[in-house]
Amino acid sequence: MNRTPAGLRSIATALSVTLTLTLAAGAGCQEKERSIPTVREKMEKTHINGQPKLTVGIGISQPLLSEQRNGVYSGFDVEIARYIAESLGYRVNGAFDGVDDAVTLVQLGTEKRIEALQSGDVDFVVAAFSMTEERERDISFAGPYLVTTQEVLIPVRLRDKIRTIDDLSAAGVRVCASGGSTSQQELIRLGIKPATRATVRECVDGIIANEYDVVSSDETILAGFRYQHPGQFEIVDMPFGATELLGVGVPKTDPHLRDLIAFFLNKSYLASRRGEANPWQAAYNATLGNYVKPGRKQPPPQNVPELVDFDDKTRSR
Amino acid sequence: MTATVGPRSVAVPAVDEATVRRERSSQSFWTVVVGVPAVFSVLRLGVEAGGELQTTLLLVANVGPVNLVAGMFTTAARFVSTGLVAVFAIGSVLGVSAARLDGFRRPLFARWLDITPAWFIGASFAVAVATWHILYLPLLLPALAATLQLSPQRLHERRVPRILLLALLLGGYYWLLLPTVLDAWVQEELVAVLLFVAPPLLALGITGPVPRLVVQPLAVGTQAAVLAMLVWAAVPVITSPVLPLTVTTVDDGTGGTEDIRGHVVTTDDVNVVILQERGGVRYVPVDRVGGQVLCPTEAELPRHRLWVRDFHVDDSLLEGLGRRVRPVQRLDAACRTAVPG
Repeated sequence: MNRTPAGLRSIATALSVTLTLTLAAGAGCQEKERSIPTVREKMEKTHINGQPKLTVGIGISQPLLSEQRNGVYSGFDVEIARYIAESLGYRVNGAFDGVDDAVTLVQLGTEKRIEALQSGDVDFVVAAFSMTEERERDISFAGPYLVTTQEVLIPVRLRDKIRTIDDLSAAGVRVCASGGSTSQQELIRLGIKPATRATVRECVDGIIANEYDVVSSDETILAGFRYQHPGQFEIVDMPFGATELLGVGVPKTDPHLRDLIAFFLNKSYLASRRGEANPWQAAYNATLGNYVKPGRKQPPPQNVPELVDFDDKTRSR
Repeated sequence: MTATVGPRSVAVPAVDEATVRRERSSQSFWTVVVGVPAVFSVLRLGVEAGGELQTTLLLVANVGPVNLVAGMFTTAARFVSTGLVAVFAIGSVLGVSAARLDGFRRPLFARWLDITPAWFIGASFAVAVATWHILYLPLLLPALAATLQLSPQRLHERRVPRILLLALLLGGYYWLLLPTVLDAWVQEELVAVLLFVAPPLLALGITGPVPRLVVQPLAVGTQAAVLAMLVWAAVPVITSPVLPLTVTTVDDGTGGTEDIRGHVVTTDDVNVVILQERGGVRYVPVDRVGGQVLCPTEAELPRHRLWVRDFHVDDSLLEGLGRRVRPVQRLDAACRTAVPG
């Protein structure tokens, strides 16, 4: 057998040629394969696939979050709903007025949100919906898309009287909260028995009508009423329990839609981390930004699936 | 050698048989270079039309030859350069090994390489560098070394400087690609790891003749494989669209709108003619068109999550440079339409 340097060189050449061809063939065969599912493949598994219209639940008359004026919806939750809907392929033409739009907004009271999701009346809900373990037994959440804390809104005439949680327990202080909300549960946990109304707005109207002294809810919701009644109300920072994580409610039966929404929220979050313009920041700056504590950024969404989308190549690592 | 012509014997220079064959081969070669794209273009129109004669004729009437050639070049440059680079690299290895083939004709790819001008080889590699996905670019190293028979000995005649030069070149290469290789390893993309790591090492050993026993099977096997690969790879070239994909929003006459997903064939004063993605041609009155957006196709979705210094590995260098110029790609909601119109 030839074992001269030239012979060994020939064998090395043959080996290199064979390995190069094998590598090229392997690369060619692998080119069509994709291990990560695409957005479209995920979309085809959701209950909204093929639906000509999307129905989204939003809160009732929450200034800065979701309110309807002259037939046009506006607010932070509305803008988040618009971003998700458009990402899912449902176009909203300019103002969110329900005319010629592929998206119908449905206003839901706090207590109706889970029921609407379970009955299929809405496809998902963006309504300052706190992500709690108890709720996650009935529905799924994508997010959080906003982190807030529980605070109280008081009329300025009571600013010297109500400063602490203990002040809320004092005799004669009438506290209100929306029924079924996490704020109501936290007040009860602290031994405070609030009067409950269907919405925070009803509590605020009750304060104006001198039926209540205080309303407790998420800072983001209360900020809206402070904005709507300039000079009349004040938000008092109180050390209630944990921070509230607001998420998008999705039917428990549709984990694929939850994954898609989480993926789109995360896309905005990643853009924000890179310091790029993103839908979340635009919505925040146009609504809540001027009325809550400054410097707030989009929180990272949880349990985000790996999906392939068209703009993946432009995203840096 | 002389030849006799006519009644009078006149001595004329003999024409070398090899030269005649060479000229004939060259003519055949250029016929292929010009003819194949032309045939492919017509085939593409037929496929784009969904196999319908009338639709094909509509496309023929409206897609200009310049547009067709430009579109053909955009989609087929990668495929054509792959074929040519494979032919040149294998042809070169077989060419230097041909002396060991007793009683056999010189292999086909070696003969093709013999008649190919150097500038054409250079242009083929240049097109490959510009149009191949970055993931596959390292394969050009062994291909180039094989084609030009660039052995490490060509770097420097003395051993120590040669090793230093090689170490410098390989060090630079792996420094450039190390983050990507690590990412690929974490993502368990074994083929990607091999594609980035192995080619420079293979390039070191790919020059020179192969053993005599291997030449004939290698010639037959690789030539058949490359030709089969070209036929297989030609299918996506023929089926890739000639016209851009759009979604046209049209007033449906009842106060609502309809999104038509397809390719705009032509627009005149009266109608917009749309070849629908699912088949069939729609003539939409111009005054009913509310909007139009350009959409990417599923074929454009990336297959890897790997970047080489911010260039995505599923992009070519040209595409990567383009993405740097216009980095933001906004996808319109209409492009997400789940059911193709």
